[in-house]
Amino acid sequence: MAKQLIDTYVAELPPTVQKAVHQSTAATTEKRYQLLGDDYADSDGLRKLAGAIRQHTLEYLDTYLAQAEESLTARGAKVHYAVTAEDACQAVTGILQAAGITKVVKSKSMVTEEIHLNDYLANQGIESIESDLGEYIVQIDGDHPSHIVRPIIHKTRGDIARSFEREGLGDYNDDPETITRRARKFMRGKYLEAGAGITGANFVTADTGRLVLVTNEGNSRFCLAPAKVHIALVGIEKVVPSDADLSLLLNLLGRSATGQQLTVYTEFINGPRRADRPSGPEQMHVIFVDNRRTEVLASDCKEILRCIRCGACLNVCPVYRQASGHAYRSVYPGPVGAVLSPLLAGDKFKELADLPKASSLCGACNEVCPVDIPIPDLLLRLRNRAHQEHVPSPGTPPMAGFALLGSHPLIWRSAMTFGAAKDYLPLDRLPVPYLGAWLKTRTLPKWRGGKFRSWMKSRHGRNGGGGK
Amino acid sequence: MTARETIFAAIKSALAPLPEREPRPAVAHGVADAQWLADETDNVALFVQRATAVGTMCFRSSSDCLAWLFEQQPARVFIPDELRDVTAKFEGIVEVVRSYSRDQVDEIDTAFTPAAGAIAESGTIILTDESTPDRLAALAPWTHIAVVRKDTIHRSVADALAAMPDDPNIIWVTGPSKTADVEGILIQGVHGPGVQGCLLI
Repeated sequence: MAKQLIDTYVAELPPTVQKAVHQSTAATTEKRYQLLGDDYADSDGLRKLAGAIRQHTLEYLDTYLAQAEESLTARGAKVHYAVTAEDACQAVTGILQAAGITKVVKSKSMVTEEIHLNDYLANQGIESIESDLGEYIVQIDGDHPSHIVRPIIHKTRGDIARSFEREGLGDYNDDPETITRRARKFMRGKYLEAGAGITGANFVTADTGRLVLVTNEGNSRFCLAPAKVHIALVGIEKVVPSDADLSLLLNLLGRSATGQQLTVYTEFINGPRRADRPSGPEQMHVIFVDNRRTEVLASDCKEILRCIRCGACLNVCPVYRQASGHAYRSVYPGPVGAVLSPLLAGDKFKELADLPKASSLCGACNEVCPVDIPIPDLLLRLRNRAHQEHVPSPGTPPMAGFALLGSHPLIWRSAMTFGAAKDYLPLDRLPVPYLGAWLKTRTLPKWRGGKFRSWMKSRHGRNGGGGK
Repeated sequence: MTARETIFAAIKSALAPLPEREPRPAVAHGVADAQWLADETDNVALFVQRATAVGTMCFRSSSDCLAWLFEQQPARVFIPDELRDVTAKFEGIVEVVRSYSRDQVDEIDTAFTPAAGAIAESGTIILTDESTPDRLAALAPWTHIAVVRKDTIHRSVADALAAMPDDPNIIWVTGPSKTADVEGILIQGVHGPGVQGCLLI
């Protein structure tokens, strides 16, 4: 049976990884549900309000982005713009070279994953170390994150212990506490010798020019404590109108992402050091990155830009739980990735056009989304786009036969009558494409075709007519 | 065209066809307050309860704090000058240093810094560059104790956001540094403090 590429990944996923992903996503989903229920009578109303704030911001993005730039500039930060991934990487390199910096530390940022910043910097001879524990392990393994919030959800402690041994961080030891202590010690040296700290941003407020960063480990704070230069890479859609909007968004972000009321460290940065505040970096650069976001804004899937990267849709998704993140073959996995990744792929849309089909459209992703993104609707729009662009769709049975049946009542009625024959036919040996493979793991129920029509008729009879 | 012009032109052309735009929704102050907050009357008691729940140790007096600290047998304790009065009893009992610099990162294992405030609803400590001029001091030592004045405790997250001070760096600390990256197992003290404390004055 011809398969979609995503199916191939699922088939090759080790059962241990699948089990780990399933358990951990289910546990986080449960924590999220509990906390929202304890704290809010109407958490659904809050999600919808947060969605409206994000949608409003997107629909006035030119206004709010310009305002954020003005606020940041007024507080001494330098604002840059990058149209493409390449432009963004060049901007970072330019800032570092001008300051004579060859070593940087990074905190976790999805947009830097998106533009492959670490590879770019390595090619320029600049050492860039990921400081988030999970991201660091991904980096030394030459791997890719498989979850937005939990990048190494697919790795076991044994995998990590072997990687640390290989990197010279001590003998094999798979105790999670020892692993964490070794990373702490190693990273201390890196923080102190780095000339710059590179971060993303969870939000940027337009009225006060605050970059908001949330972490549990404290790594973004450490990137910005000893370094001389702070460079933040920020997707243009991260803007929110004001501090007041943060009260809603921050309260929903932590609860949705990890089941925490607030993430341990919530940092608000609006400028470099000042004469009266002589701590922190001397320079602050904010690079607003487009990288096809304006194309998404112009599409019929613009709602996906509301996303605040909490990962709740991954955790709840029955497909993600079975497939894990690498099956999505892109930076953003899960339901959000099934929408965002093909859109950000530009002319490589066709290569990822199978992702919007990796969903049963059950709607759970929409129900948990803290900004109420109608993900199932967006998946359908992308399926339609793939169809319009004639993307081949292996593994999808031909539906023309059903279309014929469904649109001709006479053919439908006779099919219902004679369909009973299927109970006696060796269906798995019929020359219908995909039928044999489909039946390998499924048993069809006994034929009950036509029962509804006769039930309807007898019902009308009992009620004294009304039908024809 | 500059990159800025290209991006703004693309945004404008993306938004131009919209028949109408989403209006700005009213976000009432406190709309996302936890529902149980209304039943709480004592900010200080609530802060202690919530901070304890997220793993922050709370001390109601400097004697309690000193008794605990003494048991930990700290190597060196950083206490800035402005906290001299609060920690007067500490002198001679633990080794106190008055300045913090980056070459002492491995030697100073405990640090006290003044906090700019706190949030009762979430058990959060607020630090700023003004209150804690050395960011490393509140981050690098294994034990960090923030000294919080009771009259600076905000009731809710929304209240704290409505009263943000003018500072290039404000950080909310809600518990000790932690990770669950390795198989979902919770480990405290990743990059920041493994022990986060709070001394209320």
